[in-house]
This record gives sequence, structure tokens and C-alpha cells, in this order.
Amino acid sequence: MEELIEKLKEIRDDIDFKTETKMVESGLLASFDIIQIVAMISEEYDVKVPISELIPANFNSVEALYAMIQKLEDE
Amino acid sequence: MSFTSAAFACFLILTIVIYYLFPRKNYQWIVLLVASYVFYLWADIRFLFYIVFTTVTTYLATRKITQINLATKAFIIENKNSLTREDRTAYKAKAKRKTRNWTTLCLLLNFGILFFIKYFNYLSYIASRVFNLSSVSLNLLIPLGISFYTFQSMSYVIDVYREDTEAEQNIAKLALFISFFPQILQGPISSYNQLAHQLYEPHRCEYRRIKYGLELMLWGFFKKLVIADRAAAAIQAVTNSPYEFNGTVLTFTVLLYALQLYADFSAGIDIIRAIAQMLGIDMIQNFRQPYFATSLNDYWNRWHISLGAWMKSYIFYPIALSKGANRFTKAVKNSFFGKSKVGAYLAVVLPGTIASLIVFLVVGIWHGAGSKYILFGIYNGIIIMLSTLFKPCFEWVNRFLHINVKSFAHHAFQIVRTFILVCIGNITDLIWSARDFLPWLRKIITEQNFIAAKEQIGNNISLCKPDYILLILCTLLMFAVGVLRENNPSIPLRTIFEREGTFTQWILIVSCIIVILIFGIYGPGVQASEFAYAQF
Repeated sequence: MEELIEKLKEIRDDIDFKTETKMVESGLLASFDIIQIVAMISEEYDVKVPISELIPANFNSVEALYAMIQKLEDE
Repeated sequence: MSFTSAAFACFLILTIVIYYLFPRKNYQWIVLLVASYVFYLWADIRFLFYIVFTTVTTYLATRKITQINLATKAFIIENKNSLTREDRTAYKAKAKRKTRNWTTLCLLLNFGILFFIKYFNYLSYIASRVFNLSSVSLNLLIPLGISFYTFQSMSYVIDVYREDTEAEQNIAKLALFISFFPQILQGPISSYNQLAHQLYEPHRCEYRRIKYGLELMLWGFFKKLVIADRAAAAIQAVTNSPYEFNGTVLTFTVLLYALQLYADFSAGIDIIRAIAQMLGIDMIQNFRQPYFATSLNDYWNRWHISLGAWMKSYIFYPIALSKGANRFTKAVKNSFFGKSKVGAYLAVVLPGTIASLIVFLVVGIWHGAGSKYILFGIYNGIIIMLSTLFKPCFEWVNRFLHINVKSFAHHAFQIVRTFILVCIGNITDLIWSARDFLPWLRKIITEQNFIAAKEQIGNNISLCKPDYILLILCTLLMFAVGVLRENNPSIPLRTIFEREGTFTQWILIVSCIIVILIFGIYGPGVQASEFAYAQF
């Protein structure tokens, strides 16, 4: 999780990823950020994030993001 | 049947009464289906062909896609011992091709009809100008809400293709999802997973829901009848002959239009959500304080949210995350240029910015046929493209000038800057054709004269002093509501309202009704203006 937060900080250093729980719903994360996050996940974790997973629930918090990556790694 | 008409009020009361008194709760949705078709065909019986065509093609395509998927899964399970991994992959790929073909056919048919009836005359006119031929103009009937219901049903087709949702087996239920009467004319564009199950579930009449719905509806009528329709008359007086006015009047018109457009569209959506709420159905939010946005990109995440979500899901992400985009990113990253910080950044964001430009072109075309709509798309697309590409430069400037980006002053600056950009983009709505855009801008920048403007407004615009005072007070009220919502995003305004005693609540509700009755633009002799987005 810490490693993921570090990588996310490289994309958006103005967001407190440890505490935010509504990053998409509150408008903190925009679609351009999501593209960069998906590219980072693909590079760092070697998993492809399908478009159907690009829903607010998966990007609202770092925990949700981490859970999605683990789910995709298991598939 | 306009939402603001007496006929609609009777229709709605009758629908709600029958809906809740219907003895077989499992078939309650049939009441909604009948009401939806009555409402829609009330405008013009000839609309029937178009909506039935979309319903039938959507139904057939999604059923076929599901059949292919089920048959593929069954075949693989049946033959799991005899099939190699390569065989399974090849079999799945073949099935995917078939489902893709059905999806493509359905999309082509439905978007083809939409495109043909909305753009044929315009394209014919353009072709006649370019090739010096006589123009062919067809007297085409454009069904109300066709853009909304086509987008909603095609999102369902793509979701079934992506296996994000199951295909509906009952065509009548699907017909309701496509035609649900509160939303068919101006959205919000809902996904099947979000809306459909709510439409088909049984619902019991709840006092709380009816009360909440009526409160939201009142707020909608207030914005529509007191603010939007009052401002609309003044705006029309200027847009009919803009070159008779100086830049100050045009600036005033652009600001008034920002108020009118938001009041009108958000009022329509509030009324739609209120009706759905009274029927036991929760519809998605379509606005999140758009004029508090800190960038144009942020604005489009707050304005017409359901259209934005549609564009993201079915155009933006598929392009930005496509194999081609991925190959481009990898190629740039592996190149000499990609080793630099700028190169690495561009490698990741460039496909997204191109996708964004395409999205805004489509949004422009979605809004209508005409050069001004294309200009609207290009204007928004290019600003967002440039702001994303140069984001590191802006951040560098902020650091260099020691600007505290978390200060209130910087936040306020971002909001004002975005509002100005939005207003400039809105000029495309006020002009007749794209070629009027620069003259409008030139006048706004160079022809500022307050005293002359006061005279021009007094001579040509029918609003009087009390109207302006009322509009200013209403704007302040909407601003205050916006601040409350913005500062308490997790607490609905209604919760704050509910904290007040019953007596205070009713005083406010009755006051709102009185304000609408006294200051609303309605009644005999008044041609109630349609909701701006109902034309799409």
C-alpha cells in the first residue's frame, strides 16, 4: 500500500491519499489523472485495467484502488 | 406537455395515484410504461416509429449478444477436457467478434438515424455551398429527446457487449428503461445498472419521498419560472439583433445567459429527479456547483455529469487506453525524447488530450447541426488539451512566483478564470453561426460603454428595475445554496433543512410557493419557454 501511495504521489502530489475516501466523487481526481494512474498500474503491477473497472468506487480511495489491483492480479 | 403546464400536473397526479393504487405491485412498472408512452406520444404520435425502432433493435442486438456469450460459455464447459487453452482463446475470440458485429450494427443503425435526421439538411447545405449545387432539404421530423434516449439505450448495448450487465429478457421492461417519462426529454442519461432495477421493483407510497420530491420540484419551478424565464426574454432581445448593441450589453447578456442556462437546465433536472423520487426512484445528480469549478476540465466534471460520464466511458477511455495509445506511450517512452521529463509526461498525457479533443467535438456535434456547435467543441477541447499539456509549466510558474496555490485568493482566482472561459464558450450558444464569434468577442473587449449600454438596455429590453433586483437577489440565493453544498458535500442540503422544525419548514415551503406564484413568468398570454435542453 505504501508503495502504491508513493507512486500516486508522483502523479498528484497535492492529494493526501492516506485520508481521502471520495477522490472521484469530490472531483479531486479527474479523468486525466485516472489515465495516468491506469498507465502506472499497468507498468508497475503488470496488470491491464479494463474500462469496466474505471468506476468511481475503484478510485475513490487508495484502499479501493489497492483492492482492485489485487483482484486484477488474481484473475 | 411541458413540465410547467397544468396538463402535465394533472397527468402526473393521475399517474402517481394509479401507480400506488395498482393492486399487483410486481406489475407496477406497466403503469410507468403506459404513462411514459402517453407522455411521449402526446407531443406527436409520429414519434412512435423512432422510439419503437430503437427499442426493438436494442432488444434484438442485446438478446443476440447474450445468446452468443451463453452458448460460448456452455460450449467451453462442455468440452473443457478436449479443448486446449489455445482452442478456448480462439473460440472466445470468435464469439467476441460476433458480439462486436451485433453491437456495431445496432450502434450504426441508431446513431445513423440520429445523425441523419439531425444533420442531413445541414450537411446538404454545406455540400451545396462547396460543390456549387442546389441544396436538397428534407422536411424531417426530429423526435423530442432522441439524443437522450439514443445515448441511454446505446450505453446499455455497449454494457451488454462488455458483459457489465445482463440483457433484459422482457422487451416491455426494456421499453420502459428507454422511455421513462420524466427523463426522456432532457436526461439525465442513466446507465442500465443504475436505473433499470429501480423501475421494475415494486414501490410503496412513502410520505417522506413525496414530501422530498415536492420540495425539490418547488426549487426547480422557482429556478425555471422566476429566474430562467425572466432572463430568457432579455437574452433573446439581444441575440435577435446583436450588432445593435455595444460590448457592455453583450457582456451583460453573456453573464445573464450563464445564469439562465444553469437555472433552466438544473431546474429541469431537479423537476425530473423530483418526479422520479415521488415514484420511489432515485436518479443520478447531473450538476455539482459547476460555477465553482477551478478549471475547464473541472467544470465539465460538474456540468451535465451524466453526458460527461457517458463520453468518458464510451469514447474517452476507449481511445485514451486503446492499444494504439498504449503503443504510442511505450514508443515515446523508449525513444530518446521519452527519457526526458517532458517526453515522459507527454508520452502519458498526449493520448488522453487527443481523446479529450475528440470527446468535445462529439459533444459539440451532439448539441446540434451547425458550425457554432463544432466551434463550441473545438474551443473546449483545445483549452483542456493545452491546459493539460502545459500543466507542468503552470506549476513551475506558481513555484517560481511563490504563489500559494492553497490560499483562498488563488482558489477564487481559479474560479473566476474558469467562469470567464465558460462564458466565452457560451457565446457559441448565443450567436447564429461560428463567424459571429470573433465579432462578439471583439465588441466585448473593445466597445465598453456603460452609459450607452444603460440606454440601449432601457430601449430594447423589456425587463424593468424590479426584475433586475429580483434577478440579483435570486442569483445571491443560488450562490448561497451553492456555497452550502460546496462546503458540505457529504451532507445533503435537505438534511440541513430537516433540522429545522416542522413549522419553519412549512413557512419556507409556503414562502417559496408564494414567490413562484407572484414572480413566476406563467399564465394566460405567456408563451412558457421550453426547457433549453429539451430540444436535444
